[in-house]
Amino acid sequence: MRKLWIVVSGAALAVAILVTGALAATTVTKTTVAFTAKYSGTAVTKQTDNNVAITANGTGSGTLLGAGKVTGIGAGDSSVRPCVPFNGTGSMKGPGGVITFKVNPGSAGCGDDSGQLFSISGKALVTKATGKLAKAKGTLKLTGTFDRSSGAFSIKFRGTLVK
Amino acid sequence: MKRIVVLAAALAAFASLAGAASAADPPPPTVVPFPAPQLGPVFVAAQTVDKTGAMQNQFAPGSSVIFRAYAVDSKTHKTVAAKDAKYFYVTIPNQPNVKLKYDPQAAGATGRLAWTGTWTIPATYPAGLVVFKVLVKTESKRIGQFVQMPVAPAMLTVAAIPQAPLGIGPGAIKTAAESTSTDVALYVDTVNGTQPVGAPKRPVGCTQTNVYKRGEQLVLRIWGFDLKAGQVLSTDNIDTATYSIPGQATGALNYGAHGATGAKVWFWSAPWIVPADFPLGDVTIHVAFKTDSGKTGTYDHIVTIIP
Repeated sequence: MRKLWIVVSGAALAVAILVTGALAATTVTKTTVAFTAKYSGTAVTKQTDNNVAITANGTGSGTLLGAGKVTGIGAGDSSVRPCVPFNGTGSMKGPGGVITFKVNPGSAGCGDDSGQLFSISGKALVTKATGKLAKAKGTLKLTGTFDRSSGAFSIKFRGTLVK
Repeated sequence: MKRIVVLAAALAAFASLAGAASAADPPPPTVVPFPAPQLGPVFVAAQTVDKTGAMQNQFAPGSSVIFRAYAVDSKTHKTVAAKDAKYFYVTIPNQPNVKLKYDPQAAGATGRLAWTGTWTIPATYPAGLVVFKVLVKTESKRIGQFVQMPVAPAMLTVAAIPQAPLGIGPGAIKTAAESTSTDVALYVDTVNGTQPVGAPKRPVGCTQTNVYKRGEQLVLRIWGFDLKAGQVLSTDNIDTATYSIPGQATGALNYGAHGATGAKVWFWSAPWIVPADFPLGDVTIHVAFKTDSGKTGTYDHIVTIIP
């Protein structure tokens, strides 16, 4: 009888461990971060035929990143008017970490009648994040402006990141 | 004390350096959303047409301008009907006010633009822009105002030899939305683009019109508000903004700057070339907006295509 009790207790304990382990595995909580960032700076564009090479550097701040910099390199297709599609990659850096992103297809800069003043809109996929936003993933909406004559730009990122 | 003085001096030096560094970057362009970043108590949209319903913004002295308008209370999200308005009129410099009357069947009225009034331009009225305003006040004492986008060729103008419409205007939308409730209020018009591909350019580009020849360039111009948020529609709060025309691929509306340098305003627009084989007659351009928060708004704008 005592043997049986020990066997049953052992089995119950094993089941309990298994269930607890399974529950622990399935209750991993995801944290969401309402992310916003705003930067301004200067972008240099170099046009070869319809290909526009873009390099951008700016300063500003972002959620959990703090005050820092944004950098980006990309390319646009100026044969498409009035909205020039562009792609590229970039990063936002601050004391709180780094977000690396890739601009999604469909992003574009829409020029005014003289092709000088652009409205920028699109989306950016976060490919890597470190620091306070380590392992954060998600897609950010990006909007901004660009003055081709001066090179001045402003850019805002907004969206929900999950980590 | 000496330490504090040294620290303060260091901070001051750093601040001046930081200032110099940021001053090196030119200021980014400023977005000037039309008509304003925030919505007032009542949204108002208005157009000018002739007696056939053809949109037009250049008129000769002695001719008649029909103003047509609609308004939406930003609190109730409902269009302002006859019973709701304490007053609804057009104010014109040096002219008596033009009272607007709610009548969906009136000449020039169409769809939700069911408030109309006629101004006969005096023969002596000076040539040039007519900077009119449309003012509304509801019985619940909420007010609204409309002014035209500051793009000179598309603003109401008195001219000895006006650029007249190419034909009579499209048939009216007879389903007046008296009690329509909406989350997004829109102003929509069309102008003749300056880059037609299969038709001659008109003498003046970017004038308001809703009658087009095949091959001409039609340009949609739109602005509006998210009524609940009270914010102007911009890329900051819009998920999708599209226009669709029967038989054509759905197109995206673009948010950007328009107007003269130094006085640019930002609104939504899209160019469309009328195909050479496009069916003649009236065609409905369906405009649809969806905000990031899921609110939607639509507007049907009718144009007439002629050979």
